[in-house]
Amino acid sequence: MKLGAKFWRRVAMALCAYAFLAPLFYMLSVSLQAEGHGLGGSWLAAARDPHWENYVRALERMGDWRRLIANTLLVSVLCVGGQLFTCSLAGYAFARVEFRGRELLFAGVLATLMVPEQATAIPRFLLFRSLGLVDSFAPLVLPSVLGGSPFFVFLFRQYFLALGPELGEAARVDGCGHLRAWWSIFLPLARPMLVTVGLFTFLAAWNDLWTPLIYLMSPEKSTLTLALASFNRSYNTAVELMLAASAMVLAPCLLAYFSLQRLFLRGIAIAAAKR
Amino acid sequence: MALLVLATLALNCLGGEPSAARVGEPRRLVVMVDERGFESWPGLYELEREFEARHAGLDVVLLEQGGAVGQQDKARFLLAGELQLDVTRIDVTEFGAYLAEGALVDLEPYLRADPSWSAEEYLPVIDGLRDARGHLYGLPSTFTPYVMYFNRDLLRAAGLDAPRAGWTWDEFLAAARATTRDSDGDGRIDQWGVSLTQWLQALSPWIWQNGGELLDEHGERALFHEPQTVAALEFVRSLLHVERVASFDASFEVTFSQGLFQAGRAAFYGPVGYWETYRFKYIDAFEWDVAPLPRAAREATAIAMTAYVVPRTSREPALACEFVRALAGPRFQGLLARIGNGAPGLRSAALSADFLDPQRPPRSEQVFLDVLPTARFLPPLANWRAIADLCAAELAQVLLAEQCDVAQACQSMSRKVDQLLARERERAGLVRLRAGSLEASFALALAAAAALGLALFARSRGRLERGEQRAALVLLAPWSLGAALFFVGPAACTALLALCDWSPLRPLSDTRWVGAANFARLLEDPSFHASLRASVAYAATSVPVGLVLALALALLLREHSRWSVLTRTLVYAPSLLSPVVVAVVWRFVLDPDQGLLNEALLSMGLDAIPWTRSADAVLPAFVLMSCWSVGGQMLVFLAALQALDPQLEDAARIDGAGWWRRLLHVTLPQLSPVLLFNLAIGLLGAFNVFAQPYLLTQGGPGDATRFVALYLYESGFRRLDMGYASAIAAVVFTLLGLSTWLLLRASRRWVHYAARSAR
Repeated sequence: MKLGAKFWRRVAMALCAYAFLAPLFYMLSVSLQAEGHGLGGSWLAAARDPHWENYVRALERMGDWRRLIANTLLVSVLCVGGQLFTCSLAGYAFARVEFRGRELLFAGVLATLMVPEQATAIPRFLLFRSLGLVDSFAPLVLPSVLGGSPFFVFLFRQYFLALGPELGEAARVDGCGHLRAWWSIFLPLARPMLVTVGLFTFLAAWNDLWTPLIYLMSPEKSTLTLALASFNRSYNTAVELMLAASAMVLAPCLLAYFSLQRLFLRGIAIAAAKR
Repeated sequence: MALLVLATLALNCLGGEPSAARVGEPRRLVVMVDERGFESWPGLYELEREFEARHAGLDVVLLEQGGAVGQQDKARFLLAGELQLDVTRIDVTEFGAYLAEGALVDLEPYLRADPSWSAEEYLPVIDGLRDARGHLYGLPSTFTPYVMYFNRDLLRAAGLDAPRAGWTWDEFLAAARATTRDSDGDGRIDQWGVSLTQWLQALSPWIWQNGGELLDEHGERALFHEPQTVAALEFVRSLLHVERVASFDASFEVTFSQGLFQAGRAAFYGPVGYWETYRFKYIDAFEWDVAPLPRAAREATAIAMTAYVVPRTSREPALACEFVRALAGPRFQGLLARIGNGAPGLRSAALSADFLDPQRPPRSEQVFLDVLPTARFLPPLANWRAIADLCAAELAQVLLAEQCDVAQACQSMSRKVDQLLARERERAGLVRLRAGSLEASFALALAAAAALGLALFARSRGRLERGEQRAALVLLAPWSLGAALFFVGPAACTALLALCDWSPLRPLSDTRWVGAANFARLLEDPSFHASLRASVAYAATSVPVGLVLALALALLLREHSRWSVLTRTLVYAPSLLSPVVVAVVWRFVLDPDQGLLNEALLSMGLDAIPWTRSADAVLPAFVLMSCWSVGGQMLVFLAALQALDPQLEDAARIDGAGWWRRLLHVTLPQLSPVLLFNLAIGLLGAFNVFAQPYLLTQGGPGDATRFVALYLYESGFRRLDMGYASAIAAVVFTLLGLSTWLLLRASRRWVHYAARSAR
């Protein structure tokens, strides 16, 4: 009886894994098929005669791929660093500092989640233009470094609230300032949340297409997603090359997730359970 | 204080003119024309090198246009930002809009100054790039008339000859009837007479052939409601629903999958352009060719064309014009013809072996040139993107719905287009927004935000409180600075634009004040209502389904074993993909003809579902797609489950409560905060969904997936109506804010927070 339940559980798990993996699997199989089949080729054909050279050709078409990776990595890492800094500071303030108007301000922070991004894109572009920052990484990075998504401020606030009101009290009484408490008491304890927010930010920056498309001009500043997008023409799309390139772009994300999975889960756990 | 300083700083910056080229800086020519990506780049580089060699000290900069995603977005931003762009490539359907917005440089003076120039070198399609006075504003890249593709083998099997020039609708219908069949006898038609195309430009030949017109000669009134047009659309509709000899091929942008024709399951395919030869060249299972469209009262077809133009933000118009001539010159046009990009506009290239290559199918390439005398452009008087968008819902209804009053749908199209044309005429009479208003609104918003912040901080009592206030100020400074600059300021500009009429092709100084008119239009706009309905329906289904699925997965995978950890990772993996890739993969999964999902349904003996082709099935398809990215929510539940107090559940078990009751009465109440969290985030996500409908369905069929974020984008960037788009943003913001507030209020009844403690 008990074994039976376990068995069915396993079966259900296998089914889930299959359902979620099937489209990815097909993505891989299409990426290995001969050119010109579109999405019509069967995976059996791809398995019998895998065209690994698609991956090489995709790399060649992307041009200077080392530069692309370096650029994307630089942007993503800057975004992660900046986001972690500003959002954890703000989250700390909303969780731990008793200031007037805290609730109202926090509601304002959350309200910014509700404006569609496409609506503010042009005024923001005009701002960056007048600052002379078009065709630099600044428009990709600055909004993260300085602004940061309100969602992440929210997550950090939840996390710091969940750490309990006693934490840091003693230090505060001993005259330790908020800035120091944030840096030397709270941040070290917030590793799971740092990883969570860091991973989210990394994924968003790594996969972003529109911002680089609009702001970057020089080929030497191009990013991976931009190169990926140029596989996607309206009249002729080399699907197998596009999916091969996509698979390569996905790989680092999978790697990052695999290695950070445990902390990632803990971060979410603590933030999600609190008011 | 810092905010105030910054506000004034930003004010100054915004007000400043874009820095002109400094003395001693090299001159630049900025070119953005990536013709069919990679294959044309070698030719472009060659032109670049030659041009730089010819003009000492000139730097030619080639910009990437970004593929099919946001193809024209970049040009819009460059023009809106008054940034240098000297040469770009536009679709002729946009020519009218560019012209009307004053976004193009008149090339006539530059061309006349050049003794080597002669318009005679080009095919007559060049006249599609003239304004009312006959001045040229661009030179053709490649063009294609709409023709009919046919499968010679299928026709032969039915005892039919290839269509001749001048064949009629009746002959076409007869051939389609003869080739429609159920070849395996299972009661389902599996070989179609014709695979139809459905967008406005592809439908216009039918209208013209029947003697109808789209607009009157002044371009002031729409004529969709005239009997010839109604009859033409009735004919096309009858092919689908009465004769049942036609099926739809994938729409214009959907070229990832093989269509019916490519799979050898349709005898005719069209009306469609030359671009299809690019993917049909891989067909080796049957012989195919092209023929002129069948005729009714007269012969007619439509032309699609792209053209090289010089935008108004060019700093080097003379050089730009020279570069345009090089792009439209023999060498590059020959290259484009060899790539198979379309028929070159240059006469010599079009008549050369580069285009009429007998080795390469189709055999009758000549047809693309032969039909030119009967081919027409959409009248260059209007914004055809906008008109096509306005008509999309009605056309989809006419063609797809089982029941439809065609005359009434045509009336409605005429009415909508008339309104658009009237608005464009009236625009010139509107008051200009005073210069600097947008900058002022930006600064005002910043100042207001700063003042609000300071007011909250001020009047603190006692030393301790003051200390806390100061600490908060310091801690919040970096974040608020960014939020104010990159969010509050732009949002204020958007709010002001919502009261204006402005196109991103125009300079900001040409912003007109319209007051609440945009909001009044929103109230009466059926497409906006449809998009709101679609968004609400999507949120109302995808969010609960996602929540239940995520919870079920979390309950299944909560145990600590290698298996469940592995499965968790696999379930989360799709959430790591970029939305662009997700859309590509799902286009494949959902394809009605060869998609993974339908193959699976058929193999289980069920009926195939026309996922992306039916207004009823497309929403479930999107919900299904959203389920694929449910991994994030599952992780949140999983995390919360692990933080639960196991004693409570044990106690319930000892009391004899079954699995279901334990779940309902013990686990769920403890999970309620997380449920609320996922609900709120899911709701926001559902309303902001953009990439998937944009890449997968372009809002269709009809308006079924034109969710608000997509409608906003299309209004602002496709139909160039930024004021209207801003008004949509304002409405969406208000609605979302209101519903979130209601949700949070209502949640007090069902959300239980555990006593606050470290876990």
